[in-house]
Amino acid sequence: MKVRLDDRLLDFFKRPLMCIIAVADEERRPSAGRGVGFHVGEDRETIDVIFSAWQWPRLEPAIRQTGRAAVTFVSPSDYVSYQLKGSATMRDTEARDRDCADHFMAKATGELEALGVPRGLIAPWLTAREARVARLAVGEIYVQTPGPLAGMMAGARPA
Amino acid sequence: MTVRLSDLSACFEGVIPSIIATASADGMPNISYLSHVVRVDEDHVALSNQFFAKTAANVRANPHVTLILVDGFTGDQFLLDIGFVRSIDAGPLFDRIALQLKASSAQVGMSDVMRLRSADIFRVHAIEKVPSPVEPEETPARRAPVSLPALSQAARAIEQQAEADEIIDSLLCGVREVLHYPNALVLIRDSDRGCLITTGSIGYERSGLGSEIASGEGMIGAAAASGQTIKVSDMSRVRRFGEAISLEEDAAENDTRSVAFPQLPGAMSQIAVPMAARGVVTGVLFIESPQRLAFREEDEAALEILAGQAASTLRASEREAAASDPAQTVAAPPTQPAGRNIRVTHHRMDDSVFIDDAYIVKGVAGALLRLMLEWHLGEARSEFTNREMRLAVGGRMPEIKDNLETRLLLLRRRLEEKQAPIRVVRVGRGRVRLEAEGPLVLDLAGQ
Repeated sequence: MKVRLDDRLLDFFKRPLMCIIAVADEERRPSAGRGVGFHVGEDRETIDVIFSAWQWPRLEPAIRQTGRAAVTFVSPSDYVSYQLKGSATMRDTEARDRDCADHFMAKATGELEALGVPRGLIAPWLTAREARVARLAVGEIYVQTPGPLAGMMAGARPA
Repeated sequence: MTVRLSDLSACFEGVIPSIIATASADGMPNISYLSHVVRVDEDHVALSNQFFAKTAANVRANPHVTLILVDGFTGDQFLLDIGFVRSIDAGPLFDRIALQLKASSAQVGMSDVMRLRSADIFRVHAIEKVPSPVEPEETPARRAPVSLPALSQAARAIEQQAEADEIIDSLLCGVREVLHYPNALVLIRDSDRGCLITTGSIGYERSGLGSEIASGEGMIGAAAASGQTIKVSDMSRVRRFGEAISLEEDAAENDTRSVAFPQLPGAMSQIAVPMAARGVVTGVLFIESPQRLAFREEDEAALEILAGQAASTLRASEREAAASDPAQTVAAPPTQPAGRNIRVTHHRMDDSVFIDDAYIVKGVAGALLRLMLEWHLGEARSEFTNREMRLAVGGRMPEIKDNLETRLLLLRRRLEEKQAPIRVVRVGRGRVRLEAEGPLVLDLAGQ
């Protein structure tokens, strides 16, 4: 089943965010990495997530094997977080993806620095080297903000 | 090069959130941030996975788990393949994790929402360093390790002291000279009043001598209550602990009968180390620093050694002083100073003492000053033995038998700091003399 991102989530996606990605291989062994940019599809049912295959080499093979991914976005200033899960495919990287990644990384770095995290500490986390793009067809959305709503379904309306 | 868990100590400070990836029984991945990962030993970690039911369910259905840990000092990332072993909800390890979680969640401003229900223990199968786009030389240099010979010398220096003031000063000297932390406090427990009182202080604009932290309050109170060291390593996102008393002026002291807790502007790291002897916590060594991650595992261990040594030596000092029987004081009439009258007001309700309307101290230290003044005025003498003070106050304040020396020290230091016209001078083992710049008048308020 596909779900469509609602307006509240679209507003959330305009904020400076950090992004983490999980995959699992055929043996159900999970792996993880960081995303460095994203585009929400015009249909609001897909989201393209950019990551570095150089830094996180296990992500792409697992997505090609099992076709599934989970992606969590967090707003560092208030810990508001959403996890999106669904089927995933790899698509070719385009020039606009690199621009998007540069913008995402600059925005995230600025936000974290404003929160007191030294720039030198952030630098190892964010790279678009050998950028790859996974397209996630959103099937489930969960609130992950710590607190009583954590784990609840949210931010979606049936497609 | 093989990476070992013990190489990753800066990943376990709770400064930068860790990341946990799991997969359900049918292989759907799940990912979330994790507030705290604790290193149990060289092969195991414990996760305070208190929120996300999905993560908890997944690790039970499929024990394969991946963690990303981040070095809070360099930003380096590590991928760990781990496997679920068991869950714990009680016992010493659980208590240690709960305490660390409490401190580290306070440092990200989430102490109200973080409550540990259980902790999961995992075996670490593999550790892999994640490639970094940043050259290693761009990361900040690490500090030199703690010098063991210097630490040993500092511990010996504490052990060789006989008096409470010398022991506390030696402890603070070791903190400054061996571990190079310029801002530190020693707080001594007052069980009668349920608080910890600042009795030694270095590096602060205002010493804060006599300031109090309620038992169980903040990390100092928690360290005293639990007997475990508690630290925070990055306070960029929170107000510091212990700032409940923010009034700073002397006038405020007179109104509130409380001394402001000393402040280090821009403090980023804090550590509270219990001072325990034979399992009994008698005080807390508190240190803060403007540096992030100022307290490494080895610094923590070194501070615990010094704090433990000071607690043992203080205990021995109290025992020796209590056992010693100095020659009877002579009731010779004290010379009557010629200056103006000095008015000392004692309030029975909290044993607070004011000299010429300036707040000095309260609690046991205040009661001791009143006692000396009564003897001075009633028996015309100025020298007193610790032994007779113990006997006189012991009925109302039983714990005085173990901490008279530190209470007298607090009284002496507060009188000095306030430049009071009265001084309490040590004149030999177990004996003090009251000196005043004028005739004394004792006013017993509210009695």
